[in-house]
Amino acid sequence: MVLPGELIAEGEYKLGEGVFREQGKIYSSVMGLVDEKKGYLRVIPLTGKYIPKVEDFVVGKIEDAQFSHWEVNINSAYSAILNASDYFREIDIFQTALAKILAPGDLIFAIVREITPTKKVYVTMADKMARSLKGGRLLKISPTKVPRVIGKNSSMISMIKKETKCDILVGQNGRIWLNGEAERINLAVKAIELIEREAHTAGLTKRVEDLLTVR
Amino acid sequence: MKVGEPEKFIVKGKRLDGRKLDELREIKIEAGILKRADGSAYVEWGGNKVMAACYGPREVHPRHLARSDKAILRCTYNMAPFSVSDRKRPGPDRRSREISKVTREALEPVVFTNLFPRTAIDVFIEVLQANAGTRCTGIAAASVALADAGIPMRDLVPSCAAGKVGGEIVLDLFDVEDNFGEADLPVAMIPRKNEITLLQMDGNLTQEEFEKALKLAMEGCIKVYELQKEALRRKYGGA
Repeated sequence: MVLPGELIAEGEYKLGEGVFREQGKIYSSVMGLVDEKKGYLRVIPLTGKYIPKVEDFVVGKIEDAQFSHWEVNINSAYSAILNASDYFREIDIFQTALAKILAPGDLIFAIVREITPTKKVYVTMADKMARSLKGGRLLKISPTKVPRVIGKNSSMISMIKKETKCDILVGQNGRIWLNGEAERINLAVKAIELIEREAHTAGLTKRVEDLLTVR
Repeated sequence: MKVGEPEKFIVKGKRLDGRKLDELREIKIEAGILKRADGSAYVEWGGNKVMAACYGPREVHPRHLARSDKAILRCTYNMAPFSVSDRKRPGPDRRSREISKVTREALEPVVFTNLFPRTAIDVFIEVLQANAGTRCTGIAAASVALADAGIPMRDLVPSCAAGKVGGEIVLDLFDVEDNFGEADLPVAMIPRKNEITLLQMDGNLTQEEFEKALKLAMEGCIKVYELQKEALRRKYGGA
């Protein structure tokens, strides 16, 4: 584990998140775990808010419907914009008020399309996975724990889905949407809470499996 | 001689609270103690008890304060009414506004504000109990809270004071020394670069005394720095 300002390496590396170069030396800028792959160096943060990245899936909440776009809260310092043209089917904005399609408070599963240099975030629903979410339950976890909930090649989340038979969508922004039978959702929530609590321990998959298959 | 003023500050090389001239008070730092804040820290530094909480990066309200090229850092230093022996009138005053400002200026050089344009990073420092040196305690706590919130930083910022009492340069004044001593010199620094981000002085020192006190305070900062790192490692079970 490294802390802000800690020396990690010297020399030629491509720098990812959580690191910075000063006078040829590379330091960590956050508290986290060093990850080096093929000359690409980054620090995986242990804490922090969600910072949008292009191609991230996010669970967004409609804040406001304008004439030609929606404003979407993506649990980040930046709210996102969903243009009417980025909605999954064509809308004639002169005929239909956007609030009738998605009203403030509605949830969507969308993908980050673009981030401008001034940090304007655009999301789109033009993706097979993207859709608006009706019913179900919303769970919030720390965005830094999301990779653990998903697991390697989404092994963890597949297992939870299979064992609980719930429909689960995990946003990189730390919001998780679950739908299914109330009992089964409760079980899935328990499993995800366990993952969040014990994210950095070994043998986690086994314990989650035990939790899900007991009874 | 004023009420409460001791006759002698230093007896046989020991100070009134039994410390040596270059000895810090006992410091206890804990990271991540508040659930609702994005990052937090609690510091007990001798008789000082200070809580720091950090939020952000988040949306800026009021909107006109936002900068389109970087995040703004806002610090608020506040003393609880019960933090001192005469009840402190609640609310901001001249002193706490000044300390909020110097705290912000002490922390700003290390924060990568350019990564989060149009956002705010808020730091709140609450003094629960004061015993001299609360601004240093506050900066040390705030820095740990920022790291706990995952805000990218160039380094942690430790802080420590030195001063002059009874004709001697001493490290880390406690309240009697602060009230009746000859000078107080709070310092905050970026240890990795050996740069100073806070330097204030209350009282009078000659140039030699100043240089000696500054050196002493910077050595104190390094000790605080180690404690800050230790606190963060403890919280995150770091190897």
